[in-house]
Amino acid sequence: MTILTGKAETSRRLRPEGSGLLRKIWEHRADYAYVLPAIAVMLIVIAYPIYYTIELSFFNTPPGLQLRDKIFVGLNNYTAILTSPVFWTVTRNTLIWTAGSTLISFVLGFASALALHRDFVGRGILRAILIIPWVISAVAASYIWKWIYHSDFGIIGAVLVGLGLADRPPNFIDSVNTVLPSLIVVNIWREFPFAMIMMMAGLQTVPDQLLRAAKVDGANAWQRFWHVTFPHLRNVSTVTILLLAVANFNSFIIPWIMTGGGPSNASHIWITHIYELAFGRQRWGVASAYSVLLFLILMSLGYFYVRALSGNERKDGSA
Amino acid sequence: MSTIAETAPRSQARRRVRIDGWRWGGRIFLAFMLLYTALPMIWMLITSIKSGFAAMQFPPQWWPDQPTLASYEKLLDPQNSVGQDFLRFFWNSLFVSTTTTILSVIVAVPAAYAFSRFTFPGRNFLFFAVLLRNMFPAVIFLVPLFILMRAIGLVNTHGSLILTYLTFGLPLAIWLLKGFYDNIPVQLEQAARIDGATRFQAFVLIVMPLSTPGIIATAIYSFIGAWNEYIYAYTFLSKNEQLTLPVGIQRFFSENTTDFPGLMAASFMMSVPVVVLFLLLQRYFVRALTEGAVKH
Repeated sequence: MTILTGKAETSRRLRPEGSGLLRKIWEHRADYAYVLPAIAVMLIVIAYPIYYTIELSFFNTPPGLQLRDKIFVGLNNYTAILTSPVFWTVTRNTLIWTAGSTLISFVLGFASALALHRDFVGRGILRAILIIPWVISAVAASYIWKWIYHSDFGIIGAVLVGLGLADRPPNFIDSVNTVLPSLIVVNIWREFPFAMIMMMAGLQTVPDQLLRAAKVDGANAWQRFWHVTFPHLRNVSTVTILLLAVANFNSFIIPWIMTGGGPSNASHIWITHIYELAFGRQRWGVASAYSVLLFLILMSLGYFYVRALSGNERKDGSA
Repeated sequence: MSTIAETAPRSQARRRVRIDGWRWGGRIFLAFMLLYTALPMIWMLITSIKSGFAAMQFPPQWWPDQPTLASYEKLLDPQNSVGQDFLRFFWNSLFVSTTTTILSVIVAVPAAYAFSRFTFPGRNFLFFAVLLRNMFPAVIFLVPLFILMRAIGLVNTHGSLILTYLTFGLPLAIWLLKGFYDNIPVQLEQAARIDGATRFQAFVLIVMPLSTPGIIATAIYSFIGAWNEYIYAYTFLSKNEQLTLPVGIQRFFSENTTDFPGLMAASFMMSVPVVVLFLLLQRYFVRALTEGAVKH
């Protein structure tokens, strides 16, 4: 890669001076052909929807009304959202859901990657089994866990009763207090393998000489991890945590299928709430305003995401 | 698998020096993770071979008294209405996922190659615009996309799903593939071009074969993503004969809420294609992540 960039720069320097942006674009016109299909598809399916969502967020769309008969209401949708108590419940749930799922998935995935880094009999099989939950559909996962949590015939309840830890099977997902942690357990089940794969890949890039040198200098296992391995994984960790955080912030299927946001909004997160407002109650305007707020939050997260990624690029000297 | 196995000799050297406490801690932790991961799947399998009556017992039968494959037979029997639906959903999922996969590879390969090789104005901007797409949830796009699909006459067709999945799978596909192209020495292409190949020939004959693992990884990623997608399929399709598996299963079992053996059998069969595909090709996938996402 370094060689490639070096070459490109030399050849550019040899060309006559005074090339403006337009001229550069013209010179590289053939290059765009390669990216064009990807960009065209994305413009249609992404740029237009974003524009439309922003527009719709300033309108009221009473149920039963055609969408084209929308009524302009200015910022009313936004003020309505920020003053409603549901908004704060849902925001709190989203924060707990995102932070809890992301941190625990990352820690479990990282620890699994470390434990799997050394070779032992059956390592390949074990790794494959640990990855399976990430591959299977979230819909299937939701049904499997719904059955495990079942309030009458669920296996966890039966084990707890069998061990004498409970008189009767607990209501994991029908109780306001336990529903969110129960769903987070399901989400982690599906997500820690992703962190594991990323960190396994990262671990392979840690130079072995450094670890050996540290050992010669008398560093113990923990010191070697903390001072050699971990600093090397800082970039991968940042990217992994950000990708997990974004995915969790945007998750929908597990809460939607397992509880539909209930009981009494205790497991509603932003996305399920927006979905219900739009497709359940036909309040497209409010749902759009919610989406725009979400968009702003994600853009600020996106800033860190791009920074983490371009940090990687810069080290390489290519960007 | 092989990529990781290559590090075995190195880690063996380290094994001797690690104190036993860490190793045992690691083993206990892995055993715990294995239980956490595998028990739900085992319980799914055990439930799927119970009769509806046996599943509804407390305390549960840890192993069914009379194991039966009735749920599977029902789902796979084309004579029966349940089986007809299930097989149709399965076929729809297969069609949508395969088409999406082929199209993603066709679109992502040239784009990733350009991002890796050329330095045209706006390259970084476009690249990050592509990556930023990853940040936004499906729900934001649902309403406008639904309206868009209606405008171009794609509502209630598999085309709407294929177009949507294609767009949403592209960012990671391009990112993964770009990592691969970055690692293929440009001199190989230059040598081919000196020998008289055009840029396109050099690309097809030299770069493509070398990037096959990346292309396979991209294809698995697209396939699994499309196979498992739920929210768009749930919104765009309403006709029963067009549903894909995740939505079809949900519709079916919201009417038969007590048939847990059937539900578990359906969940199992829905998982089989992607799990098998992934297990067969996982080494490419892990390698693609290493090359594309991590090793910069």
